[in-house]
Parts: sequence; C-alpha cells; structure tokens
Amino acid sequence: MNYLDLTIKEMHEALVKKEITPLELAKEAIKRAKADTNNAFETILEDKAIEIASELTEPEENNLFWGIPFGIKDNFSTKNILTTGSSEILKDYIPVFNATVVEKLLNAHAVPIAKTCLDELAMGGTGTTGHKGITYNPYDPKHERLVGGSSCGSAAMVSAGIAPFALGSDTGDSVRKPASFAGLVGFKPTWGRISRFGLFPFAPSLDHVAYFTRSVEDAAFALSLLAGRDLHDATSSNKKVDDYISNINDTIKGKRIAILKEVIDSIRDEKVLTIFNNTVEKLKENGAIVENVSFDLKLLEACYPTYMVISCAEATSNNANLDGIKFGPRYGGDTYQEVMCNARTKGFCELIRRRFIIGSFSLMRENQEDLFLRAQKARRLIVNRTNEILNNYDFIYIPAAPNIAPKFTDSSDKLSTNYLIADNILVLGNFAGLPSITLPIGLIENMPIGGNLMGRKFEEKELFKIAKNIEDGTGLYNLSSRKLVK
Amino acid sequence: MKAITKEVLKDAASRLMFDMSDEQYDTLEKEFEIIIKQMKLIGEIPDVDNVEPMTFPFDVTTDFLREDEVTEPLTKSDALKNAKDVLDGQIKLPKVVG
Repeated sequence: MNYLDLTIKEMHEALVKKEITPLELAKEAIKRAKADTNNAFETILEDKAIEIASELTEPEENNLFWGIPFGIKDNFSTKNILTTGSSEILKDYIPVFNATVVEKLLNAHAVPIAKTCLDELAMGGTGTTGHKGITYNPYDPKHERLVGGSSCGSAAMVSAGIAPFALGSDTGDSVRKPASFAGLVGFKPTWGRISRFGLFPFAPSLDHVAYFTRSVEDAAFALSLLAGRDLHDATSSNKKVDDYISNINDTIKGKRIAILKEVIDSIRDEKVLTIFNNTVEKLKENGAIVENVSFDLKLLEACYPTYMVISCAEATSNNANLDGIKFGPRYGGDTYQEVMCNARTKGFCELIRRRFIIGSFSLMRENQEDLFLRAQKARRLIVNRTNEILNNYDFIYIPAAPNIAPKFTDSSDKLSTNYLIADNILVLGNFAGLPSITLPIGLIENMPIGGNLMGRKFEEKELFKIAKNIEDGTGLYNLSSRKLVK
Repeated sequence: MKAITKEVLKDAASRLMFDMSDEQYDTLEKEFEIIIKQMKLIGEIPDVDNVEPMTFPFDVTTDFLREDEVTEPLTKSDALKNAKDVLDGQIKLPKVVG
C-alpha cells in the first residue's frame, strides 16, 4: 500500500517518523490527480501543492494535518485560485480571499491538491450538472454509475485514493449521500459548528460545510481543526469545541438508537436491509438499545417538496448577485438588462434556471402562503418530530440510501412523484441542523452502501463514538483504499 | 395562488433575467404540477397552519458586535479584478441615458 492510501492518522504517523515527506505525498497525489478518469477536478493545483509541500521539512507531532494532501470542492473561495462553482457564469472567477475552512487547513500546513467538480452551484444530487460534465464513480470502471452529488468531485477524489480528505458542502445530503455511493465516511456537523464564510451560499438555512474521510476517527480529527466561532460568519456558534477524540472508543452500552420504520419499509432492496440489519445486531451485542420508531408517514412524504421549495427560494435570492457584471463572462447587449440576461441565460444550466423559477414563484406575494411559508411550517413540524424522537433516543440510524449508486440511465434531476422516502431522508439533518455521519456498512456487487447516523445538536462527540463502534464492527475502515489495492 | 401557465413562467424567468427554450418551459410546467400537488397534500397535514414558519434550524442569538474600527476590507483593484469591462476605475456598462 502506498502512503497516500493511508488514513490521515496513519499518514501523520508516517510523516512524523519521516518515513515519507509532504513533498513525496503531494507529488504522488498530483500524479494520481492527473491520471484521474472520473472527471473529479476543476483545477489541479500542481504548482501550489509543490510550493507548499517543499517548505514542510520539520514534522509537527501535534498537528494531524501537517503535510496532509486534501481536496476542496470548487464552491469554496480560494484566494487567487480559480473558483467556478462548476458554473459557466463563474468560469473565470478568481476570489480575493480564502474561505475560513480553507484558511484553517492552510494554516495547519495541509497541502491543497485540487479544486473538485460539483453539480452546478451545488444544486443537484447526481454529479452530472457541472459545466465540465459528468463525474463518475471510482467503484465502477465501466462508468455506468453515478457517484452522487453535489460534492461529486470530492467524493471521487477521496474514493479514488488521490487524498485522504476533501471538503464538501451539504444542503440536503450532498456529502452524506455520495459517501454512501463511494465507500467513504461523509460527515456534516451541527449547523453553526463550522464557519461557512467563503462557501458560496445555496440555501443558508440548510447549508453546512461537510467533508469526506476514510475513517470515522479522521472525521473527528477534522472537526477538531475546523470547528469554532468565526467573526466573519454571524451564524457560527460560540459554543466551546469539544474533544472529539479521547473517548471515541468508549462503550456504547445503554445508548438508545431509533430506527425509522417508514424509511426501512420504503426500501425495496433486500440486500441493503440485510447489511443494515447485520450492523444493528452488532450494536445490540455491544449493549445498545435499538428500537423501531414510527416517524409519521405524511411528514416524511413532505420532506422532499418542503426541501425543494425552501432551497429553491433561498437559492433564487442568493444567486441574484451572479449578474455577469461584477464578475462572469460578458456576452454583450444594448442595455445593462440585456447584458445580465445574456450572462444568466448562457451562464446557468437548465436545471438551475428551472429551480430558480420554482424558488421565485414560491416567493411571489400571491403564492407565498401556499408555497414558501407552508414549506417553512412543514419544516417546523418535521423538525419538532425529529427532536421529539431524539428526546427519547440518543441517535437515529438508517441506511444512507435505499440502494447502491444508481446507473445514469436510471437517474434524473427532473422532479417526479416516483421517489422513495429513503432517498430523501438525510435532509432531516439539514432541516434540524443536526450532526450526521454516513459510513460504509457493506458491499453489494462490489459497490458500497452506507449507514447514516444523526445525533442531537452539538453532540458530535457522541456521534463519532457510535459511528466508530459500527466501523469497528464492519471492519470497513479505509474501505476505498483496500478496493484500489485489490 | 397564481395559476401556472407558460406565460406566468416566462414572466418569472424574465424577472430573473434569463430565458429558456419552449421545451424547457414544458418540463418546468410538469414539475410545477407535481410541486403544487405535493404542497396541497402538505396543506392537509393537521396543524401545519398552526405553527410558525421555521427560518433557521434552531434559534441562534448573536449578541456580539465587533468594534467599529475603520479598515479597508477590499481594495478598489480587488473589487474590480473580476469585472470584464472596466474604465477609469469603474465597471463599464451600456449607456442608460442617451
């Protein structure tokens, strides 16, 4: 196994022992990035990575991220580095500042390898709508299956062994769903736990900074680095940052876990259920109390339309600044309105424009009561029920997706009435702002499937503990690298 | 609520400063049918109209105000760096008044 295939923790140990240098890791990562066949990247940062890694000569024993290669979803602002949001309207946009999370990683001397592709402006779930085209799933060399989105490039990058860590963003499930399809740990914290300064806003009441790792422990290390109040982000929390590591191997005896009955009932794939049930049995063996809980079918069916209306409405107003004037390409026009109209018509893909209209229509005064405000009220009922369950249970545990990564031919970004509750359930974590983690729990026909846990707000520490217990039980730690070796 | 017609959707698009093809409006019309139907179902959920709309996942109170110190957060050259047409330190647009 190459050192680049290790987890952050293992890589750190090798760096400290000087078995490998940051420059060697960066060079290997760049080599692999250049050989990428999954369309994971907007920009490979070869010069920058080599420049940073070359200066790292004395290992920092207490800094896990020293010399660690990482990826950045291309909706995080990076100073003097192209940041496109995978959208034509930002195809040559160069920010003048760094997102707080990027700044924190650079200050920790982590080494940026690439900016990664996404569904345009993070508004999609398939990894097919970015301006550079489809991103593929590294588990499927035939390129028939999607990796999921919107953080498709970051998922593909970590899954293909190019880095042990990549930043993503999660507004509905944009990290936690692709994590399931790509055999990775995907984590988002409590809303407000990590600063969002410099992340292109999509729907700020739902947006979270999130990320991919190869192990639960790495996800806990990353939160230790990235969490905390940021004066640039008024929604970031003042709450003290916990020690997420020390007790990660503690017993889970007596922990109460709720499994959502309606979600399980909506899953047709027996193999997914068998794999999921195996992990449940292990949790019980380890002393957890696991019970089936009914959520409320009507509320669960309401999740998807509620998400669509709220997220589209917020997105419409947030992206009004993309006018082709302050930045973005100019396509001419006789009036300033024509300049804007040309830029926005050519600059946004069809899906984005449809979603903006849905959002704008929902916000019109005569429609607000029936659409936007009703969705916000439904959100409150959904969140109330979620929190009610979490008053009685420590965690909610469900399959992260109803199936392995679907084939492109079976997936669509168009709205339809034919969807499964289990396909849109992770949004509970965004509605309620709860910490949530996906981790691999098994393989079906060599394609991974994940389980997802949600915990109470700001109780990430407990969430990592239970997730680590499941990971120890499945033995699927660093799954994606083992796939590469095989 | 406004009835959905192609004209209504075209008007919404023009307010959003973009256009779409006829085929794309057709797709959108179908999507609206679905959304409106689903939102009607949501309207039938008991109590849905008896709760306050939720704008954030939970209440966050920020009582912190930074010191009112003069700084230069963005230089003029940085502010203009990404604009395509700049003249005399300003972004150039087609003439508004002849």
